Amino acid sequence: MNAEFPLAIDEDLPPQLRDLLNSADGPAFEQALDVIVRQREQHLFRALGQLARDLHDAVRRLGGELAHDGVTASVADARQHLQDVLEMSAQAANRSLDFAERMRPQADALAQNAGEVLAWASGNDAAAVLARQALEFADVSRAGLADMVLAQSWQDLTGQRIKRVAAFIGSVESSLLELVRLTGALAGSEVPARTTQVSSQEDADRLLSEFGF
Amino acid sequence: MKILVVDDFSTMRRIVRNLLVELGFSGPLIQEADDGDNALTMLRSTPFDLVITDWNMPNMSGIDLLRAIRAEPSIKALPVLMVTAENNRDQIIAAAQAGVNGYVVKPFSAATLEEKLARIFERLAASGAKA
Repeated sequence: MNAEFPLAIDEDLPPQLRDLLNSADGPAFEQALDVIVRQREQHLFRALGQLARDLHDAVRRLGGELAHDGVTASVADARQHLQDVLEMSAQAANRSLDFAERMRPQADALAQNAGEVLAWASGNDAAAVLARQALEFADVSRAGLADMVLAQSWQDLTGQRIKRVAAFIGSVESSLLELVRLTGALAGSEVPARTTQVSSQEDADRLLSEFGF
Repeated sequence: MKILVVDDFSTMRRIVRNLLVELGFSGPLIQEADDGDNALTMLRSTPFDLVITDWNMPNMSGIDLLRAIRAEPSIKALPVLMVTAENNRDQIIAAAQAGVNGYVVKPFSAATLEEKLARIFERLAASGAKA
Protein backbone atom coordinates (compact mmCIF):
# COMPACT_ATOMS: atom_id res chain seq x y z
CA MET A 1 0.00 0.00 0.00
CA ASN A 2 1.34 3.38 -0.93
CA ALA A 3 0.78 6.47 1.18
CA GLU A 4 -0.05 8.34 -1.97
CA PHE A 5 -3.16 6.18 -2.28
CA PRO A 6 -4.87 6.63 1.08
CA LEU A 7 -7.70 4.30 2.06
CA ALA A 8 -11.20 5.37 1.15
CA ILE A 9 -12.23 5.25 4.85
CA ASP A 10 -9.46 7.64 5.83
CA GLU A 11 -11.78 10.52 6.52
CA ASP A 12 -13.90 8.50 8.94
CA LEU A 13 -10.88 7.40 11.00
CA PRO A 14 -9.55 9.15 14.13
CA PRO A 15 -6.48 11.27 13.26
CA GLN A 16 -4.30 9.01 15.42
CA LEU A 17 -5.21 5.98 13.29
CA ARG A 18 -4.97 7.86 10.03
CA ASP A 19 -1.47 8.95 10.89
CA LEU A 20 -0.50 5.40 11.77
CA LEU A 21 -1.91 3.98 8.56
CA ASN A 22 0.03 6.50 6.55
CA SER A 23 3.22 6.01 8.58
CA ALA A 24 6.14 4.12 7.09
CA ASP A 25 7.43 3.04 10.53
CA GLY A 26 6.32 -0.63 10.84
CA PRO A 27 7.30 -1.34 14.50
CA ALA A 28 5.75 1.97 15.64
CA PHE A 29 2.55 1.03 13.80
CA GLU A 30 2.43 -2.40 15.52
CA GLN A 31 3.10 -0.88 18.92
CA ALA A 32 0.45 1.79 18.56
CA LEU A 33 -2.04 -0.76 17.37
CA ASP A 34 -1.26 -2.96 20.41
CA VAL A 35 -1.95 -0.01 22.71
CA ILE A 36 -5.31 0.60 21.10
CA VAL A 37 -6.28 -3.08 21.22
CA ARG A 38 -5.16 -3.37 24.85
CA GLN A 39 -7.23 -0.32 25.79
CA ARG A 40 -10.24 -1.99 24.25
CA GLU A 41 -9.48 -5.28 25.99
CA GLN A 42 -9.09 -3.55 29.35
CA HIS A 43 -12.48 -1.97 28.90
CA LEU A 44 -14.04 -5.34 28.02
CA PHE A 45 -12.29 -7.08 30.93
CA ARG A 46 -13.44 -4.40 33.35
CA ALA A 47 -17.01 -4.81 32.16
CA LEU A 48 -16.74 -8.61 32.39
CA GLY A 49 -15.15 -8.38 35.80
CA GLN A 50 -17.91 -6.11 37.06
CA LEU A 51 -20.50 -8.50 35.65
CA ALA A 52 -18.83 -11.50 37.28
CA ARG A 53 -18.61 -9.69 40.64
CA ASP A 54 -22.26 -8.61 40.45
CA LEU A 55 -23.32 -12.15 39.61
CA HIS A 56 -21.26 -13.52 42.43
CA ASP A 57 -22.68 -10.97 44.88
CA ALA A 58 -26.24 -11.72 43.84
CA VAL A 59 -25.78 -15.45 44.13
CA ARG A 60 -23.88 -15.10 47.41
CA ARG A 61 -26.76 -13.08 48.83
CA LEU A 62 -29.17 -15.70 47.57
CA GLY A 63 -26.94 -18.46 48.96
CA GLY A 64 -26.75 -16.63 52.30
CA GLU A 65 -30.50 -16.32 52.41
CA LEU A 66 -30.87 -19.95 51.44
CA ALA A 67 -28.62 -20.97 54.30
CA HIS A 68 -29.72 -18.36 56.83
CA ASP A 69 -33.48 -18.36 56.44
CA GLY A 70 -33.52 -21.99 55.46
CA VAL A 71 -34.99 -21.45 52.03
CA THR A 72 -34.35 -25.14 51.42
CA ALA A 73 -36.65 -25.65 54.36
CA SER A 74 -39.08 -23.12 52.85
CA VAL A 75 -39.10 -25.09 49.62
CA ALA A 76 -39.85 -28.21 51.63
CA ASP A 77 -42.58 -26.18 53.40
CA ALA A 78 -44.03 -25.07 50.07
CA ARG A 79 -44.11 -28.64 48.88
CA GLN A 80 -45.73 -29.69 52.15
CA HIS A 81 -48.38 -26.96 51.74
CA LEU A 82 -49.21 -28.31 48.30
CA GLN A 83 -49.37 -31.83 49.71
CA ASP A 84 -51.72 -30.51 52.42
CA VAL A 85 -53.94 -28.95 49.75
CA LEU A 86 -54.02 -32.27 47.92
CA GLU A 87 -54.99 -34.13 51.07
CA MET A 88 -57.56 -31.58 52.19
CA SER A 89 -59.20 -31.49 48.79
CA ALA A 90 -59.22 -35.31 48.67
CA GLN A 91 -60.87 -35.31 52.11
CA ALA A 92 -63.50 -32.82 50.96
CA ALA A 93 -64.18 -34.83 47.79
CA ASN A 94 -64.41 -38.03 49.84
CA ARG A 95 -66.93 -36.45 52.21
CA SER A 96 -69.15 -35.60 49.26
CA LEU A 97 -68.72 -39.13 47.91
CA ASP A 98 -69.56 -40.58 51.36
CA PHE A 99 -72.70 -38.48 51.37
CA ALA A 100 -73.73 -39.67 47.90
CA GLU A 101 -73.09 -43.30 48.81
CA ARG A 102 -75.15 -42.92 51.99
CA MET A 103 -78.07 -41.22 50.23
CA ARG A 104 -78.29 -43.45 47.18
CA PRO A 105 -79.66 -46.55 49.04
CA GLN A 106 -82.16 -44.26 50.81
CA ALA A 107 -83.36 -42.94 47.46
CA ASP A 108 -83.58 -46.53 46.19
CA ALA A 109 -85.58 -47.58 49.26
CA LEU A 110 -87.94 -44.61 48.89
CA ALA A 111 -88.53 -45.49 45.23
CA GLN A 112 -89.23 -49.12 46.10
CA ASN A 113 -91.63 -48.23 48.93
CA ALA A 114 -93.45 -45.77 46.70
CA GLY A 115 -93.74 -48.50 44.06
CA GLU A 116 -95.30 -50.82 46.59
CA VAL A 117 -97.82 -48.19 47.67
CA LEU A 118 -98.71 -47.56 44.01
CA ALA A 119 -99.42 -51.27 43.63
CA TRP A 120 -102.55 -50.93 45.81
CA ALA A 121 -103.29 -47.20 45.83
CA SER A 122 -104.51 -45.64 42.62
CA GLY A 123 -105.99 -42.55 40.99
CA ASN A 124 -106.14 -39.47 43.15
CA ASP A 125 -105.89 -41.28 46.46
CA ALA A 126 -103.80 -39.20 48.83
CA ALA A 127 -101.50 -42.22 49.21
CA ALA A 128 -101.12 -42.62 45.42
CA VAL A 129 -100.41 -38.91 44.91
CA LEU A 130 -97.81 -38.94 47.68
CA ALA A 131 -96.28 -42.16 46.37
CA ARG A 132 -95.94 -40.68 42.87
CA GLN A 133 -94.30 -37.57 44.32
CA ALA A 134 -91.95 -39.73 46.37
CA LEU A 135 -91.03 -41.77 43.29
CA GLU A 136 -90.31 -38.62 41.33
CA PHE A 137 -88.24 -37.19 44.19
CA ALA A 138 -86.26 -40.44 44.45
CA ASP A 139 -85.45 -40.32 40.72
CA VAL A 140 -84.42 -36.67 40.82
CA SER A 141 -82.31 -37.33 43.91
CA ARG A 142 -80.51 -40.24 42.29
CA ALA A 143 -79.69 -38.17 39.22
CA GLY A 144 -78.56 -35.28 41.44
CA LEU A 145 -76.34 -37.58 43.49
CA ALA A 146 -74.75 -38.97 40.32
CA ASP A 147 -74.02 -35.41 39.16
CA MET A 148 -72.57 -34.56 42.54
CA VAL A 149 -70.31 -37.62 42.43
CA LEU A 150 -69.09 -36.63 39.01
CA ALA A 151 -68.51 -33.03 40.09
CA GLN A 152 -65.91 -34.32 42.57
CA SER A 153 -63.55 -34.98 39.67
CA TRP A 154 -62.39 -31.37 40.19
CA GLN A 155 -60.17 -32.86 42.91
CA ASP A 156 -58.39 -35.05 40.39
CA LEU A 157 -58.09 -32.28 37.79
CA THR A 158 -56.77 -29.67 40.24
CA GLY A 159 -54.63 -32.29 41.97
CA GLN A 160 -52.80 -33.13 38.77
CA ARG A 161 -51.90 -29.47 38.32
CA ILE A 162 -50.76 -29.19 41.95
CA LYS A 163 -48.48 -32.18 41.41
CA ARG A 164 -46.97 -30.48 38.36
CA VAL A 165 -46.34 -27.29 40.37
CA ALA A 166 -44.69 -29.38 43.13
CA ALA A 167 -42.41 -31.01 40.57
CA PHE A 168 -41.57 -27.56 39.13
CA ILE A 169 -40.66 -26.23 42.59
CA GLY A 170 -38.36 -29.22 42.99
CA SER A 171 -36.54 -28.46 39.75
CA VAL A 172 -36.21 -24.74 40.61
CA GLU A 173 -34.78 -25.72 43.98
CA SER A 174 -32.12 -28.00 42.51
CA SER A 175 -31.19 -25.42 39.84
CA LEU A 176 -30.83 -22.77 42.53
CA LEU A 177 -28.64 -24.94 44.70
CA GLU A 178 -26.53 -25.88 41.69
CA LEU A 179 -26.09 -22.18 40.82
CA VAL A 180 -25.00 -21.39 44.37
CA ARG A 181 -22.59 -24.32 44.33
CA LEU A 182 -21.09 -23.34 40.98
CA THR A 183 -20.58 -19.66 41.79
CA GLY A 184 -19.33 -20.61 45.25
CA ALA A 185 -16.73 -22.82 43.61
CA LEU A 186 -15.85 -20.04 41.15
CA ALA A 187 -15.29 -17.51 43.93
CA GLY A 188 -13.66 -20.05 46.20
CA SER A 189 -15.52 -18.37 49.04
CA GLU A 190 -17.87 -21.11 50.10
CA VAL A 191 -15.06 -23.48 51.07
CA PRO A 192 -15.30 -23.75 54.84
CA ALA A 193 -11.81 -25.28 55.25
CA ARG A 194 -10.12 -21.84 55.09
CA THR A 195 -8.42 -20.84 58.31
CA THR A 196 -8.07 -17.10 57.66
CA GLN A 197 -11.37 -15.34 57.50
CA VAL A 198 -11.44 -13.60 54.15
CA SER A 199 -14.50 -11.88 52.81
CA SER A 200 -15.77 -13.66 49.76
CA GLN A 201 -15.63 -10.39 47.82
CA GLU A 202 -11.86 -10.25 48.31
CA ASP A 203 -11.61 -13.90 47.43
CA ALA A 204 -13.64 -13.31 44.34
CA ASP A 205 -11.58 -10.27 43.38
CA ARG A 206 -8.35 -12.19 43.80
CA LEU A 207 -9.57 -15.11 41.78
CA LEU A 208 -10.90 -12.81 39.10
CA SER A 209 -7.65 -10.89 39.00
CA GLU A 210 -5.86 -14.17 38.27
CA PHE A 211 -7.95 -14.36 35.16
CA GLY A 212 -6.98 -10.82 34.26
CA PHE A 213 -10.22 -9.15 35.36
CA MET B 1 -68.51 -58.26 34.75
CA LYS B 2 -65.10 -57.89 36.39
CA ILE B 3 -63.70 -54.39 35.95
CA LEU B 4 -60.30 -52.95 36.93
CA VAL B 5 -60.22 -49.18 37.54
CA VAL B 6 -56.69 -47.72 37.32
CA ASP B 7 -55.96 -44.18 38.55
CA ASP B 8 -53.38 -42.69 40.92
CA PHE B 9 -56.07 -40.48 42.53
CA SER B 10 -58.22 -42.47 44.94
CA THR B 11 -61.08 -39.97 44.58
CA MET B 12 -61.16 -40.54 40.82
CA ARG B 13 -61.21 -44.32 41.30
CA ARG B 14 -64.09 -43.87 43.69
CA ILE B 15 -65.96 -41.61 41.26
CA VAL B 16 -65.59 -44.09 38.40
CA ARG B 17 -66.64 -46.93 40.70
CA ASN B 18 -69.72 -44.92 41.76
CA LEU B 19 -70.67 -44.22 38.17
CA LEU B 20 -70.26 -47.87 37.21
CA VAL B 21 -72.52 -48.94 40.08
CA GLU B 22 -74.98 -46.24 39.03
CA LEU B 23 -74.91 -47.73 35.53
CA GLY B 24 -75.81 -51.13 36.96
CA PHE B 25 -72.42 -52.85 37.23
CA SER B 26 -71.76 -54.95 40.32
CA GLY B 27 -69.80 -53.02 42.97
CA PRO B 28 -67.99 -56.01 44.51
CA LEU B 29 -66.66 -57.03 41.07
CA ILE B 30 -64.96 -53.66 40.57
CA GLN B 31 -61.31 -53.62 41.64
CA GLU B 32 -58.81 -50.76 41.79
CA ALA B 33 -55.11 -50.19 41.08
CA ASP B 34 -53.16 -46.96 41.63
CA ASP B 35 -50.76 -47.26 38.69
CA GLY B 36 -50.01 -49.31 35.58
CA ASP B 37 -47.46 -51.55 37.31
CA ASN B 38 -49.90 -52.70 39.96
CA ALA B 39 -52.67 -53.01 37.39
CA LEU B 40 -50.52 -55.31 35.25
CA THR B 41 -49.74 -57.52 38.24
CA MET B 42 -53.46 -57.83 39.01
CA LEU B 43 -54.36 -58.49 35.37
CA ARG B 44 -51.80 -61.30 35.18
CA SER B 45 -53.13 -63.07 38.26
CA THR B 46 -56.90 -62.57 37.90
CA PRO B 47 -59.10 -62.58 34.81
CA PHE B 48 -60.84 -59.24 34.14
CA ASP B 49 -63.41 -58.29 31.51
CA LEU B 50 -62.60 -54.59 31.21
CA VAL B 51 -59.89 -52.07 32.18
CA ILE B 52 -60.70 -48.40 32.73
CA THR B 53 -57.45 -46.48 33.07
CA ASP B 54 -56.20 -42.95 33.59
CA TRP B 55 -53.35 -41.71 31.34
CA ASN B 56 -51.19 -39.70 33.74
CA MET B 57 -49.83 -41.94 36.50
CA PRO B 58 -46.47 -42.44 38.25
CA ASN B 59 -44.36 -45.54 37.53
CA MET B 60 -46.36 -46.86 34.59
CA SER B 61 -48.67 -44.51 32.68
CA GLY B 62 -51.97 -45.52 31.09
CA ILE B 63 -50.54 -45.64 27.56
CA ASP B 64 -47.67 -47.89 28.72
CA LEU B 65 -50.17 -50.12 30.51
CA LEU B 66 -52.21 -50.33 27.30
CA ARG B 67 -49.11 -51.28 25.29
CA ALA B 68 -48.08 -53.85 27.91
CA ILE B 69 -51.55 -55.41 27.80
CA ARG B 70 -51.51 -55.61 23.99
CA ALA B 71 -48.02 -57.16 24.10
CA GLU B 72 -49.00 -59.95 26.48
CA PRO B 73 -50.72 -62.91 24.75
CA SER B 74 -52.87 -63.97 27.72
CA ILE B 75 -54.49 -60.54 28.18
CA LYS B 76 -53.99 -58.81 24.83
CA ALA B 77 -57.69 -58.99 23.86
CA LEU B 78 -58.81 -57.21 27.03
CA PRO B 79 -60.94 -54.13 26.27
CA VAL B 80 -59.33 -50.92 27.56
CA LEU B 81 -61.15 -47.62 28.09
CA MET B 82 -58.86 -44.61 28.55
CA VAL B 83 -60.24 -41.93 30.91
CA THR B 84 -58.00 -38.90 30.84
CA ALA B 85 -57.72 -35.14 31.26
CA GLU B 86 -55.43 -35.07 28.20
CA ASN B 87 -57.58 -33.91 25.32
CA ASN B 88 -54.57 -33.79 23.07
CA ARG B 89 -54.70 -34.89 19.43
CA ASP B 90 -51.30 -36.62 19.52
CA GLN B 91 -52.21 -38.54 22.65
CA ILE B 92 -55.54 -39.65 21.23
CA ILE B 93 -53.74 -40.86 18.09
CA ALA B 94 -51.10 -42.64 20.22
CA ALA B 95 -53.86 -44.36 22.21
CA ALA B 96 -55.68 -45.38 19.02
CA GLN B 97 -52.47 -46.75 17.51
CA ALA B 98 -51.75 -48.69 20.70
CA GLY B 99 -55.17 -50.35 20.33
CA VAL B 100 -57.39 -48.51 22.81
CA ASN B 101 -61.08 -49.48 22.72
CA GLY B 102 -62.48 -46.16 23.92
CA TYR B 103 -61.30 -42.70 25.02
CA VAL B 104 -63.17 -40.47 27.49
CA VAL B 105 -62.02 -36.95 28.32
CA LYS B 106 -62.37 -35.77 31.93
CA PRO B 107 -64.56 -34.33 33.26
CA PHE B 108 -67.23 -36.51 31.70
CA SER B 109 -70.87 -37.33 32.46
CA ALA B 110 -72.34 -40.69 33.46
CA ALA B 111 -74.15 -40.66 30.11
CA THR B 112 -70.82 -40.27 28.23
CA LEU B 113 -69.28 -43.14 30.18
CA GLU B 114 -72.35 -45.30 29.49
CA GLU B 115 -72.25 -44.47 25.79
CA LYS B 116 -68.51 -45.29 25.44
CA LEU B 117 -68.94 -48.56 27.34
CA ALA B 118 -71.95 -49.52 25.22
CA ARG B 119 -69.96 -48.83 22.04
CA ILE B 120 -67.03 -50.94 23.27
CA PHE B 121 -69.29 -53.91 24.00
CA GLU B 122 -71.21 -53.50 20.73
CA ARG B 123 -67.96 -53.64 18.76
CA LEU B 124 -66.70 -56.60 20.75
CA ALA B 125 -69.99 -58.45 20.15
CA ALA B 126 -69.79 -57.65 16.43
CA SER B 127 -66.17 -58.82 16.10
CA GLY B 128 -66.99 -61.88 18.23
CA ALA B 129 -69.92 -62.74 15.92
CA LYS B 130 -67.69 -62.42 12.87
CA ALA B 131 -64.93 -64.57 14.33
